[in-house]
Amino acid sequence: MKRPSDHLTIAATCGAVLLMAVAARAAEVDGAAFFESKIRPLLVERCYECHGEKKQKGGLRLDSRAAWQKGGDSGAPIEPGKPEASLLIKAVRYADKDLQMPPKRQLAPEEVAALEQWVKMGAPDPREGKLVFARTVDFEAGRKQWAFQAVGNPQPPILTQDEWSRGDLDRFIFARLQQAALQPSPPADRRSLIRRAAFDLTGLPPTGEEVDAFVHDPSPDAFAKVVDRLLASPHYGEHWARHWLDVARYSDTKGYVYAREEKRFVHAWPYRDWVVRALNDDMAYDRFLLLQLAADQTEPADSPNLAAMGYLTLSRRFLGVTHDIIDDHIDVVMRGMQGLTVACARCHDHKFDPISTRDYYALYGVFKSCAERVVRCGEAGDTSAAFEKELRAREDKLRDTLAKRREEQSARVRATVTGHLIAQLELEKYPEETFGQILGPEDINPDFVRRWQSYLAAADQRQDPVFAEWHQAAKREPAVRRQVAERYGARFAEVEKKWRTLLEADPSAQALPDPADEAWRRVLYGPDSPCTVPDEAIANTEMFFPTKVTEELWKLQGEVDRWIVQSTEAPTFATILTDRAKAVTPRVFKRGNPLTKGEEVPRRFLQVLVGDHTEPFAKGSGRLELAQAIIDPHNPLTARVMVNRVWMQHFGRGLVATPSDFGKRADPPSHPELLDWLARGFMDDGWSLKKLHRRIMLSAAYQQGSFGPADAVARSKAQESDPGNRLLWRMNTHRLSFEEMRDAWLAAAGELDLRVGGKPAELFASQNKRRTLYAFVDREHLPTALRTFDFANPDLSIPQRTDTIVPQQALFGLNHPFLAACARAVVRRADQPGMEDDAERVRRLYALLYQRLPTTSEMNATLAFVQPERAPVARQEQPNAWQYGYGELDETTGRLRSFTALPYFNGTAWEGGEKWPDSKLGWAQLTSTGGHPGNDRQHAVVRRWVAPQDGIYAIASTLIHEPTVGDGIRAFISHGGRGLLRSTVLHHSTVTLNLEAMSMSAGDTLDFIVDIRDGLNSDQFLWSPKISTVATTGSGGDGAQSWDAQKDFAGPPMQLLSRWEQLAQALMLANEFVFLD
Amino acid sequence: MNLPPLTRRDFLRRSGVGIGMLGLAGLLAPSRGLQAAESGMMHRPHVAPKAKRVIHFFLNGGPSHVDTFDPKPALLKYAGQPLPQTFITERKTGAAFPSPFAFQRYGQSGIEVSDLFPKTAQHIDKIAVIRSMQAQVPNHEPSLMLMNCGDSIQTRPSLGSWLMYGLGTENENLPGFVAMCPGGYPTKGAENWQSAFLPGAYQGTYVDSQNTAVDRLIENIRSPHATPEAQRQQLDLLRTLNQEHRRERLDPRLEARIESFELAFRMQTEAADAFDVSREPQHLRDLYGSGVHGRQTLIARRLLERGVRFVQLWHGAGQPWDNHEKIEENHRKLSAEIDQPIAALLSDLEQRGMLEDTLVIWGGEFGRTPTVEMSGTTSKLGRDHNHYGFSVWMAGGGIKGGTVHGRTDEFGFAAVEDPVSVHDLHATILHLMGLDHERLTYRYSGRDFRLTDVEGKIVKEILA
Repeated sequence: MKRPSDHLTIAATCGAVLLMAVAARAAEVDGAAFFESKIRPLLVERCYECHGEKKQKGGLRLDSRAAWQKGGDSGAPIEPGKPEASLLIKAVRYADKDLQMPPKRQLAPEEVAALEQWVKMGAPDPREGKLVFARTVDFEAGRKQWAFQAVGNPQPPILTQDEWSRGDLDRFIFARLQQAALQPSPPADRRSLIRRAAFDLTGLPPTGEEVDAFVHDPSPDAFAKVVDRLLASPHYGEHWARHWLDVARYSDTKGYVYAREEKRFVHAWPYRDWVVRALNDDMAYDRFLLLQLAADQTEPADSPNLAAMGYLTLSRRFLGVTHDIIDDHIDVVMRGMQGLTVACARCHDHKFDPISTRDYYALYGVFKSCAERVVRCGEAGDTSAAFEKELRAREDKLRDTLAKRREEQSARVRATVTGHLIAQLELEKYPEETFGQILGPEDINPDFVRRWQSYLAAADQRQDPVFAEWHQAAKREPAVRRQVAERYGARFAEVEKKWRTLLEADPSAQALPDPADEAWRRVLYGPDSPCTVPDEAIANTEMFFPTKVTEELWKLQGEVDRWIVQSTEAPTFATILTDRAKAVTPRVFKRGNPLTKGEEVPRRFLQVLVGDHTEPFAKGSGRLELAQAIIDPHNPLTARVMVNRVWMQHFGRGLVATPSDFGKRADPPSHPELLDWLARGFMDDGWSLKKLHRRIMLSAAYQQGSFGPADAVARSKAQESDPGNRLLWRMNTHRLSFEEMRDAWLAAAGELDLRVGGKPAELFASQNKRRTLYAFVDREHLPTALRTFDFANPDLSIPQRTDTIVPQQALFGLNHPFLAACARAVVRRADQPGMEDDAERVRRLYALLYQRLPTTSEMNATLAFVQPERAPVARQEQPNAWQYGYGELDETTGRLRSFTALPYFNGTAWEGGEKWPDSKLGWAQLTSTGGHPGNDRQHAVVRRWVAPQDGIYAIASTLIHEPTVGDGIRAFISHGGRGLLRSTVLHHSTVTLNLEAMSMSAGDTLDFIVDIRDGLNSDQFLWSPKISTVATTGSGGDGAQSWDAQKDFAGPPMQLLSRWEQLAQALMLANEFVFLD
Repeated sequence: MNLPPLTRRDFLRRSGVGIGMLGLAGLLAPSRGLQAAESGMMHRPHVAPKAKRVIHFFLNGGPSHVDTFDPKPALLKYAGQPLPQTFITERKTGAAFPSPFAFQRYGQSGIEVSDLFPKTAQHIDKIAVIRSMQAQVPNHEPSLMLMNCGDSIQTRPSLGSWLMYGLGTENENLPGFVAMCPGGYPTKGAENWQSAFLPGAYQGTYVDSQNTAVDRLIENIRSPHATPEAQRQQLDLLRTLNQEHRRERLDPRLEARIESFELAFRMQTEAADAFDVSREPQHLRDLYGSGVHGRQTLIARRLLERGVRFVQLWHGAGQPWDNHEKIEENHRKLSAEIDQPIAALLSDLEQRGMLEDTLVIWGGEFGRTPTVEMSGTTSKLGRDHNHYGFSVWMAGGGIKGGTVHGRTDEFGFAAVEDPVSVHDLHATILHLMGLDHERLTYRYSGRDFRLTDVEGKIVKEILA
């Protein structure tokens, strides 16, 4: 289609260029002088800092002519000869609030004038500097990096004088040791070896019997049998799943979400269990990856393997910001499966590795073309009809409401086409999605404005006749464009009306009769209409609705999620990705900013891996093709990365020390041939992880001791020349992870619950004796203990845990009730009936905890510790004069009908149970300073004081009820015998309740009672009475005393550990327990 | 093997660079910080530090700058009428809403402060007010993350964690980074003091300062099942067993772990002492005031005094300063809770000679609109969030007191002169602490990360 105005513009531009060329020659010399005297100093002083060699804000450099001619993210800053058209001039004039340069301080008026004049002169600039910052990735050179080279087929070195190697693997190790003139360590003793193997494969200690059997097994394949037994254990999958879950940034929750949303995932634990199962079944690793990326496309609709896609869909919610969710997906896939830090290329080409922003956005396009869906997976299970019925009811309500709201919102957009078109003229008013605006139904929704924007761009590209006028007007002044927008709006309204009328007459109508009308109707109703909310879950469509509707829909989604999460019948759900009907062709976001879009890139795999002339992905989103490219046996990274991860878990350090970064900045592998040999073998074995473990563990390298060479000289030489043990002259000691430690404590206590799989449980709930793998992982509120012990941060893909030793870990070991409970259980277990000999008991403890007997010096030290004549362990405690309970005030007698002690102390407050409010006693609570009454008058809270002896006592107390809401509380002081002494009602006020002299007999009670007034609402109060002796009467009095409810406040009397229990605890905390040789 | 047992020094010398060094470095050289697993660089001050420790009053929810430290008389002119220029914020706002609070000049500098902070205002000559702060979006969650961790959305280490990483702690018996918030978590919870990819040991230790008992303030600080005497004997036994075990082994972590139990034992006493304000004289307790904020601020001073690097004091659970409605009543109540403690802290620090090397920071995640928030056509007498321009002030170590930096427009909607981004603020704080924000980096996921990302410019104008 011809556009007359285009010709005009081109002609005008040519004319200007010609004119300028003539004038320029004459002015050249003057221009250079002007530049040097006025402009260069100004640029150096005020602009280079941000637009020079070191920084290029907005992608712009001003320190050479070539640089500014190339321009920045917003285009060329200078239109030579045209100050009015030059962004630079606009910026220094400070006229536009969004474009003011320099940002900190405006230029002086004469400086602005100089720049204007310079631009008017044609911006003469003698600076010849080269354009250096436009980094382009040199893929050819990049491919030379070892990690991108094909996996080789290295042959093990042939060695003379090698009596150490047990197989090919060892020859690679031994060759390097020989080169460095180092000796390996002698083999580990059998007890150490089986402990090492058991923890390495299952994360659990061996039993005493297992140790004995191995120690006394003379057969040559004794250790191989141990390894095979451990690999066959269902606990192997549990332990290795946790390593993978670190990489997969596993969490049971979404991270911070607005209150409207359920924060727990419905599909987290099924994913975790899928990983456990896959590993136990020794699923081929290539299939293991394929399913996690694209099970939706390779498996039947009800396959249990759909759960695998949790790898992608367990990401944080990032407050619903799509770019960040996709960034997470790219990162977890690329670092996790490929050992490449592709996410670095979100804002600029990778600084070190051959990865471009085009690569990043090619992958962005893959995930942008997918939507989430929750599906049921695996066997139907034996859920009850009641569960199914309620689930269906909730799902129906969600689905119906969502459909209704989608239709309403789409209708709203269709009715406001004019507004959406006018919005295109003032896009700056419609911020990107990170900017959360509260939108009403009448507001133009920024996300629809963006949809219109890209729809119009696409219409322009295909020269859609419907929008011909719109695009022709694009260069016109705003007032004209506005009129055009209004005309379009009117035309769409007319078409809409026709369509409505037709539908009324013929509800089955598919199209308008007039083809021109129909073309317009399709803009409103077509499959990729910019007016419709896509038929997808709320997680993918939340931004399209008015805020209140989004909240409503999330609440309904939350109802569904909660019903599933709370169910004990454990139906399994997966959240999968599915390809959208129409895939997105992504555009590069310059500097990662979605507002500055750059070139289009096809969806495809990384250029460095697939070559410079690859075909783009063709099937749907391309996710399946992405998975296939990753598991392609020719992919040089996939096998290497996994083999290295496995190696790291066995040896404490990878052959490549940075397991998720095989890029240029990573140290090259310590044993490159070995890495390839292992990777090659791994693939040849059908990607079997169990065979890989076997190959590694049956080596002499793995089975050597951790003490270093027996020969003292050789040992100190090794320590001097290779202190980091890169060459593996010894085994590294392994420090138990938090999970291994907790599981081992429970195992020693004989209490470890070894059931495999299922829903998560609170880590420190008293009944939770399951493996730590099954602890509820809340990425928003990770238990402090987990963080203190370097648990993998569930927000980030963690290739290797940090390893800190800090006093907080010791405090946990010494003071947390969990370990004390284990210590008690260990002693109970060690105490066999009829056992009287202390030494025998010590031997039993050593056998349970260390699977060995104590040495003589250990026996002496431990026996000395448990000797009864040592200092007493018990603190001389004053009996507490206060009691904490609940009951009901009998208003006629002014006394309590009954007093029942509050059953649970949480460390700070007496309450009804572990959870507050308690299901029976509600909000009833007493703390050192106050408390909260129970939910009704039958559950008043009562702080009781018992007089220790006859006497006259004074009471001083201040009662405060702070909240303004609610109706306040009632409070009473009641004497067990005489009844009511004081009573008051208060709300948002303070009352002093004193008694100057009160005679009481020993054992008499004083009750400080608080109940609700009429309603239960904000009834917390502060009341900590003080009681003092005015005079004592009778015998046995020991003078003036005082009691302070706050200071005396206490939980149940300390349950002190016995000497034996303390011994057990010390043995469980000792380095021998925590470090494996 | 008949080798003599290795000393700690030997271990250090021989073990070279390895992850096992992490904790050991932390224990043996606490003032230099831990060594990073991926980064392999030991940090220490890059430039001469002006401050050794930081206390940050976080007015979560967003205090109104036009009602506190940035007077805008021009709003009176437009009272009840729309402003000539407004900006999009989270909600709909209407007409200009002049501050209901009176401003007054204080001190030699004559800087104006509203009657919400009359006691703090007495110290105005020690304070540098930045009136041209800018955040990125008008929403709490991203702005809290930006202010605390330097990034709105991604999981990044908090300022306090970076300080711990860069400088370590000066008292190994106390956590070096403490975040106190009475009554529960602020919005975004523990993410506000997360260590992200830095080691877990650098995260902030959360303290619910509503509690008074020390064992409720710090997890596991007291044994519920052993007396200190019994525990001492137990630790002696443990040490004996561990030393026996260590004899022939090469791993330096073994020694570090032995030491960690001794530290833990000392920590129990020291923490109990640090958190017990009843050890302060009555006149000081009166100076700080009796409420939870007085107590929390006084605890903070006791912690700072003992070498804690960074204390953050949150106003309360959720976002108390988020006064979309009835701002007069609500801001009045909130400021009354902290004005006295802040003023008391400034006096107390000065009196102890600590103010000169303690950096005091005051601010929220953003400011509030000079226009009134509307609910339909009804005014709610409150203000919406405003990230275009707001105030933060700093006092103490290295700060030029009695300074005003930057300016918002005549109504206080947007910063128009010397705008200061949160990255700039962070760069300045790090600079005052002796750290170059461009060199304080940590290698994670193939990149060298910084608190200030690729931005940040030190605000030199407020430096002494």
